[in-house]
Amino acid sequence: MSRARRAWGILRGEERRARKLRGLLALLRPYRVRVALMMVALVAAVAASLAPPYLAGRAIDDGIRAGDLGALNVVVALLIVSALVNFAATYAQTYLVSWVGQRALQDLRIRLFEHLQRLSVGFYEKRRTGVVISRLTNDVQALDQLVTDGVVTLFSSSLTLLGTAAILVILDPELALITFLTFPLLLVGSVIFRLASAGAYRLTRERIALITAYLQETLSGIRVVRSFGQERRHEEHLSELNEANRAANMKTVNLNAAYFPSVELLSAVATAAILLYGGNQVIDGNGVTIGVLASFVFYLANFFDPIQQLSQLYTTYQAGMAALDKIFELLDEEPEVADRPGAAGLPPVRGEIRFEGVSFGYGGEEDTFALQDVDLTVPPGQTVALVGATGAGKSTLVKLVARFYDPVRGRVTVDGHDLREVSAGSLRSQLGIVPQEGFLFSGTIRDNIAFGRPGATDEDVLAAATAVGADEFIARLPDGFDTEVGERGGHLSAGQRQLVAFARAACADPRILILDEATSNVDVHTEGRIEHGLRRLLAGRTAIVIAHRLSTIRGAGRIVVLDGGRIAEQGTHDELIAAGGAYARLYRDWARQAA
Amino acid sequence: MNVFWRLLGFLRPYKSGVVWSLALAAAAMGAGVLIPLLVGRTVDEIGRPDPDLTPLVLAIAGAGLLRLVLSVSRRLVAGRVSLGVEFDLRNLVYHRLQQLELAFFDGQQTGQLMSRSTVDLQAVRFFLGYGLIFILQSALTILLAAGVMLVVNPGLALLALAPAPALIWASFRYGRKNRPASQEVQQRIAELTAEAEENISGVRVVKAFAQEARQLGRFRHVVGRVFDQSLVSTRLRAFYNPLIAFLPFLGLGAVLLVGGRQVDSGAITLGEFVAFYGYVLLLAQPMRMLGIALGMAQRAIASGARVFELLDREPALVAPDGAPELPAGRGRVELRGVTFGYDGGEPVLRDISLEVDAGRTVALVGGTGSGKSSLIALVPRLYDPQEGSVLVDGTDVRDVDLASLRSEIALVSEDAFLFSASVRDNIAYGRPDATDEQVRGAARRAGIHDFIETLPAGYETRVGERGLTLSGGQRQRIAIARALIIDPRILVLDDATSSVDATTEGEIKRALAEVMEGRTTFVIAHRLSTISLADEVVVLEEGRITARGTHEELLESSPLYAEIVEKGLPDQVFLTRKPEEEVASL
Repeated sequence: MSRARRAWGILRGEERRARKLRGLLALLRPYRVRVALMMVALVAAVAASLAPPYLAGRAIDDGIRAGDLGALNVVVALLIVSALVNFAATYAQTYLVSWVGQRALQDLRIRLFEHLQRLSVGFYEKRRTGVVISRLTNDVQALDQLVTDGVVTLFSSSLTLLGTAAILVILDPELALITFLTFPLLLVGSVIFRLASAGAYRLTRERIALITAYLQETLSGIRVVRSFGQERRHEEHLSELNEANRAANMKTVNLNAAYFPSVELLSAVATAAILLYGGNQVIDGNGVTIGVLASFVFYLANFFDPIQQLSQLYTTYQAGMAALDKIFELLDEEPEVADRPGAAGLPPVRGEIRFEGVSFGYGGEEDTFALQDVDLTVPPGQTVALVGATGAGKSTLVKLVARFYDPVRGRVTVDGHDLREVSAGSLRSQLGIVPQEGFLFSGTIRDNIAFGRPGATDEDVLAAATAVGADEFIARLPDGFDTEVGERGGHLSAGQRQLVAFARAACADPRILILDEATSNVDVHTEGRIEHGLRRLLAGRTAIVIAHRLSTIRGAGRIVVLDGGRIAEQGTHDELIAAGGAYARLYRDWARQAA
Repeated sequence: MNVFWRLLGFLRPYKSGVVWSLALAAAAMGAGVLIPLLVGRTVDEIGRPDPDLTPLVLAIAGAGLLRLVLSVSRRLVAGRVSLGVEFDLRNLVYHRLQQLELAFFDGQQTGQLMSRSTVDLQAVRFFLGYGLIFILQSALTILLAAGVMLVVNPGLALLALAPAPALIWASFRYGRKNRPASQEVQQRIAELTAEAEENISGVRVVKAFAQEARQLGRFRHVVGRVFDQSLVSTRLRAFYNPLIAFLPFLGLGAVLLVGGRQVDSGAITLGEFVAFYGYVLLLAQPMRMLGIALGMAQRAIASGARVFELLDREPALVAPDGAPELPAGRGRVELRGVTFGYDGGEPVLRDISLEVDAGRTVALVGGTGSGKSSLIALVPRLYDPQEGSVLVDGTDVRDVDLASLRSEIALVSEDAFLFSASVRDNIAYGRPDATDEQVRGAARRAGIHDFIETLPAGYETRVGERGLTLSGGQRQRIAIARALIIDPRILVLDDATSSVDATTEGEIKRALAEVMEGRTTFVIAHRLSTISLADEVVVLEEGRITARGTHEELLESSPLYAEIVEKGLPDQVFLTRKPEEEVASL
């Protein structure tokens, strides 16, 4: 019972999908003229493709058997004309459907991208990058199949089927009825085949995905494989996966071997039945002519194609619908941090940052809050170094300044403006952020430095690079400022990326700077340059630095030690050492390791 | 063409399957070709006095049934051959990949290799499994049908077949033009993926600098490029597909026009005429398939060439036949005048001579690119030097069995790579038959046992790319345990650069001290705490050893070492640690 219901569910698709399908149709609305034209072309193409078998029959009856060669010429001319019409109409239809489909998907991609940009940072922290990207690429691609191939197959195959049926009935109702007798057989066969093969094909995709993942992993870890001499074992395991893949594919081979030849058999049997019954009708002179009989035979030659195509459509439909589900799920996601309606722009600030009784958690219970009741005032121009273990709340604190999140309790202000009252854009245009690993975008060094200030001139870019001491290494690159940095800045070393990220922040010239200091090792010379660049960048700005290097910490105007989401102590290096608290303990541990 | 014959070689183990499927295909086509002929006969029979249609009609149904049986068998046999070829090819390619030396992988992107083992392999197997049979089957059908037609009425046959070359040519041309066009679409989709990837990974930077509009503009541009190229591909499809469908109608028209007149003049019967018409309908499909399959063959040959490139690549780093095992010893290592450059390029090590007595610990210190990592990669013979030799316990590493050499040397790299498997399996990697006690023992000595016990499923917790994310320090200690379990003579450590806090560092130091005991150890040191474990320090500079001695001696004698110690090392790691999940947190 439940099995039957599940089978029915698979066939029918899920009902809530109707809403999504409407959403998909909405994407086509701007192009409705072209859609209408496409439909006209499609109908013309189907009609033209239905003509030839009928015309062949007429050629036999009216031309050949009647001995009227003029009529034969006319029929042949009509045949060629119908073929030409089919050619032209198919061209128009194929082109239009792809144009509209691709354009609609392009719109969808852009809409998704815009939506993704509106979503808060919190959204990205809960999801893997790869999954989000796949919405924009793979899932939209799966829809492409549905929108272009699917739509055309649905309409043209159904029309062909209905058109053929109608013509057959008009030609001779009795013969038509005999032909239709094969339908239930074909239908039941196709349904069984679909149900059985849906699972089989899914299994083959899963098995090959396993192989791909295994290849990927053992090739990435090839160094380890070699060092431990485990080549044989991996070969054996791959061979097992390979065998499983073969077994899964074997099932689809068996299914296909049973289904497709059976359809061919059905066509031969139907032809035989028509000839037997119809032939005797001709002989008995019951109104059936040889031409009509021939038309039937010719129609039968392609009669089963649309049914096969329609049954294949189901797989496309399933894949497309699954993709559509995921896409709409993403579009339904609401940004957690949004500008209040009519939020004012933040006027140019001096740069005083205040936390007033701020508590914040990434969802969940109060006792897991990442920040608890934090009060902190950073006067304009001061550098504050945040120090503390992982999970102490350093990153969370700076994210609230950038308003990637809103506090659960209390408020964060800049020059007395509550951040929730101002637009995020106006806040961030006065804020510079330097992420830990110096994330760069592919493009030139110049593009990257000018990133936060698109109107920047070459002089501005040079000035920014000089200000943080990045100019020296850039000048030594073959293409200077026009050097391509590669994906995520991969062509540059970690230290160079860091310097370019500093220059990018310097170019935007923000009043407030947020910096997550890199911890990766760079060589001695670069190290010195980064230290120097950092000092120049911080000078004269309000800055909050998640600090890892002693030199940075010592150079800060104030050190804030966080522990478990609370401020444990604050002061200068000397003050904190004298106080003998958590900072002093950490310092002592460090000094012992270094000795 | 050479590639083509070599590709056919993969079918050799399936010779009987190939022969059978060809024979079955031929027979099935024969049965299929019979049908229009029988239909024609039936039509003629209708016109005769005292007609009996039943035998002919039964013959049609019989031919259909015969075709069913033959086609089903053919598909079953051919499907097995195809899957068998795919299976063999994949194992073969993977086997070769596992044999090749590391230097080969340095010059290749993993993605490229992946695509050879998946996309190219698929093109080859589609061709060998299906394409080849399509070609032969289609050619056979065309020949059979054309033969029957020519026997029945040569003149009409030639007319009906006249569009055939144009049709095959059009399908072939379409296959050839469409491929680069659709590859370019794929290429542009890859660009789109890269653009999306970058924007999503860098979303915090975009938001921080309020550059959403600009990034959207960039994305629009990339999406537009995909659209433009899809239209190029669409235009080809929109033209060629209906053209291929149109051409047979010229044959049909000719049959009607000329054949009709011949019926009228009594040269042929109405039945023959109907049979001809049936043949032209029947032929359209195989002609089309032939064109497509020829395109497939082209693709398969291009892919085959790439697969062979890989298969033909002889492993450069092999032990001589019958090489002896590494003789017993305590792990003395000697480098004699070693010069080495990756892929034979600019040397990264120049004339290095270094002797390390069994059981000693040597710390390697130097800037990025000074050659530290290259030096340690030579000991387990991951690469061969261009000049000089590497000796372990007095034997040149090139003269001994690779497996026996590597089983005595354990390497813990800086980016401790873990497999997507349980913690237990990762630790037991080099010795799959290790007992639970041995695994736990190794974990304890590496100072990671207590941590593993706190994991959700303990030692069975899945880690690696598709498992639990661990911090750099945790991964490193699992890698140390993995090295310990094989109880190597020589230990090679690339000390992780990722920062850990002082407390964790103390734990690692204790673990290292424990594992170095009684083994020859090379360690690339980034911290003073690690240097302090070493018996002596070797300073590398641009591929040369510039100083050697104890920490105190070098502070006196080597200005570079003093600078590294003063500026480079102690400041690196201070108060905080950097677990993986925080890398992109800002």
